[in-house]
Amino acid sequence: MTDAVRGEPPVEMIGVNKWFGAFHVLKDIDLRVREGERIVVCGPSGSGKSTMIRCINQLERHQEGTIRVHGRAYGRDLRENDAIRREIGMVFQSFNLFPHLSVLDNCTFALTWVKHLPKKEAEDRAMEMLTRVRIPEQAGKYPLQLSGGQQQRVAIARALCAQPKIMLFDEPTSSLDPEMINEVLDAMVELAESGMTMIVVTHEMGFARKVADRVIFMDQGEIVEEAPPAQFFDAPRFDRTRLFLSQVL
Amino acid sequence: MDEVLSRDSAAVEQLPAEIFKPKPARAAPPSTLGVQGWVRQNMFSSIPNALVTVLGIWIVYAFFDTILTWAVGNAVWEAENRRQCLDLVGRSGACWPGVIAWIPNLIYGLYPKDQVWRINLAGVILLLWALPLWLPRVQSKVQIGLSLVLLFPLLASYLFLGGEKGVIWSALIALGLAGFLWTLLTAATETISGLSFGRYAVAAIGFGGDNDPARRNGQIAALLALYVVALIAVQAMSLSFVATRAWGGLFLTLVISGIGIAFSLPAGIVLALGRRSRMPLISMLSTTFIELFRSVPLITILFTFNTMLPLFLPVGVEVNQLLRAIVAVCLFSSAYMAEVIRGGLQAIPRGQYEAASAMGLGFWQSTGLVIMPQALKIMIPTIVGNFIGLFKDTTLVSIVGLFDLLSMSRAVGEDTRWLGLFLEPFFFITMIYFVVCFTMSQYSLNLEQRLSAGERR
Repeated sequence: MTDAVRGEPPVEMIGVNKWFGAFHVLKDIDLRVREGERIVVCGPSGSGKSTMIRCINQLERHQEGTIRVHGRAYGRDLRENDAIRREIGMVFQSFNLFPHLSVLDNCTFALTWVKHLPKKEAEDRAMEMLTRVRIPEQAGKYPLQLSGGQQQRVAIARALCAQPKIMLFDEPTSSLDPEMINEVLDAMVELAESGMTMIVVTHEMGFARKVADRVIFMDQGEIVEEAPPAQFFDAPRFDRTRLFLSQVL
Repeated sequence: MDEVLSRDSAAVEQLPAEIFKPKPARAAPPSTLGVQGWVRQNMFSSIPNALVTVLGIWIVYAFFDTILTWAVGNAVWEAENRRQCLDLVGRSGACWPGVIAWIPNLIYGLYPKDQVWRINLAGVILLLWALPLWLPRVQSKVQIGLSLVLLFPLLASYLFLGGEKGVIWSALIALGLAGFLWTLLTAATETISGLSFGRYAVAAIGFGGDNDPARRNGQIAALLALYVVALIAVQAMSLSFVATRAWGGLFLTLVISGIGIAFSLPAGIVLALGRRSRMPLISMLSTTFIELFRSVPLITILFTFNTMLPLFLPVGVEVNQLLRAIVAVCLFSSAYMAEVIRGGLQAIPRGQYEAASAMGLGFWQSTGLVIMPQALKIMIPTIVGNFIGLFKDTTLVSIVGLFDLLSMSRAVGEDTRWLGLFLEPFFFITMIYFVVCFTMSQYSLNLEQRLSAGERR
């Protein structure tokens, strides 16, 4: 990022609308994320929360509105879009590690093929990130040889290797066995403490309460309520939010 | 942190914890272990099962006993002609002398006897070219594999065909030869020092640091020098012309199926990607091509290319008959391969594409580095199955007048000395087909196991 765009918000969504066929999934989404802010997005399934964060790195294309990342808007120029999305790291619910590559090669993949770093440098950085999520000893293994929690931590390390400015998490713990959820959450807490800008879709309300600067509740494609966690959990404004919280807490 | 993250901190009064001791694992019952256990469990577990086992063993024995008595026990190995064989053993034993006398023709067709060394040389070059792919210390395997597929045909075509070579063809043949030399040199230098030939040459002369542009130029110069050497060697070579009409036997079968295999895989990949493309025109064209060629028998395509193609071409333009058959086989097999590869592509979860594009990889990079390696690996058994099918399907070219292995074996029985000798040559080529196909399928199993070794839990 150059100095010119510093000061621009990391992510800015203005009047974003999206349809899947005739189905209106995102309705007039406005969202401004500040530098270093940690946002937790929650809501019932089908509320559009995943679609919203997938729009932020254009895994889904929106039909109306503007999405800017550090001041650069997505448009028709595919190269520019690719360049913008390289500022963003993403962690998926189903890990999406590349099964044909070792853990280390998964981590160095983007560095080698997108950033064209020399092998040694890429591997050093990959090992650094694997150490950060506390699994450097698994570097030589293949993803399917690891437990779900370990795989998700590798996925976090892989995303971090590209040194993103923003991290998106799309239900990172939802397909994990209960015993493995905390190791992933710990890695995410550590990341939050380092000052990373994070947008996390999750049902882990404990995580939201502890880490989030702001909690966003979505339903039927709209942002219903957004508030700091204390206010969100203790004094939600809308009846819909109260109903949701009564079901998940 | 733990307090906040702990999930259900229900307020139940805690008693001092009891200690959980897992039971030790016991040995499995001995009757289920070892050869004896296996035989008892799988072959004689019940009376019907035992009966089936005994019946099966008897059928296998009877079958091989009959075959071996005919092919070996009662067989005649030395005779002047078929009459002598019949006088000796009648039809109870095989008459091998006819097949033995015809072996050169079964393998090389009517290729001139004094020129057969050219085919053998090409075979040796092929083996040497492919050998580095199995050497553990060689790193440039992708490049070697590509050079083999792309450049070997250039060199081999001249060895097989010979004759006048123009400027362009000379340049192409030299490219083939240079590719071969580069492979050998790289295999050698990488085994010695871990550097490919170009890097090794530069290092040997002693250029500067890693990012020195002179180094890159030096590597290019080394490769150019190699090409010039190859060009001079090609100029010095002069081989007599052998028309494709004289090609035949196993040699021809291998040429047709080899080209078909080498062509169908990349063409199939392109067609499969085309069919899945979001661009309607490309997708429509690919789909039309695939469906058209898949819905017509190979034999029809061969006939069409052989008899109808000349009608569409301007008078005087003549396309070699072998070439026509090869083109037909290539198009047919790439249509089939495309569907195999499309199947593989469909088995790759969407998340893989998403992870790749979230990293900022473009379409070609995600396809080439993430999706295709996985898709091809899943489809290895089917791909090799297609190769095997293609190898056997080449027997159909005998219909359009080419003398492949099958037509050659039929010619034995039409030789006046061995008149009516059909069974033995057929038996012989059956063995050849079996060995080749079985080798391919075993290799594919082996490949599959090696490639997925790290990926099982």
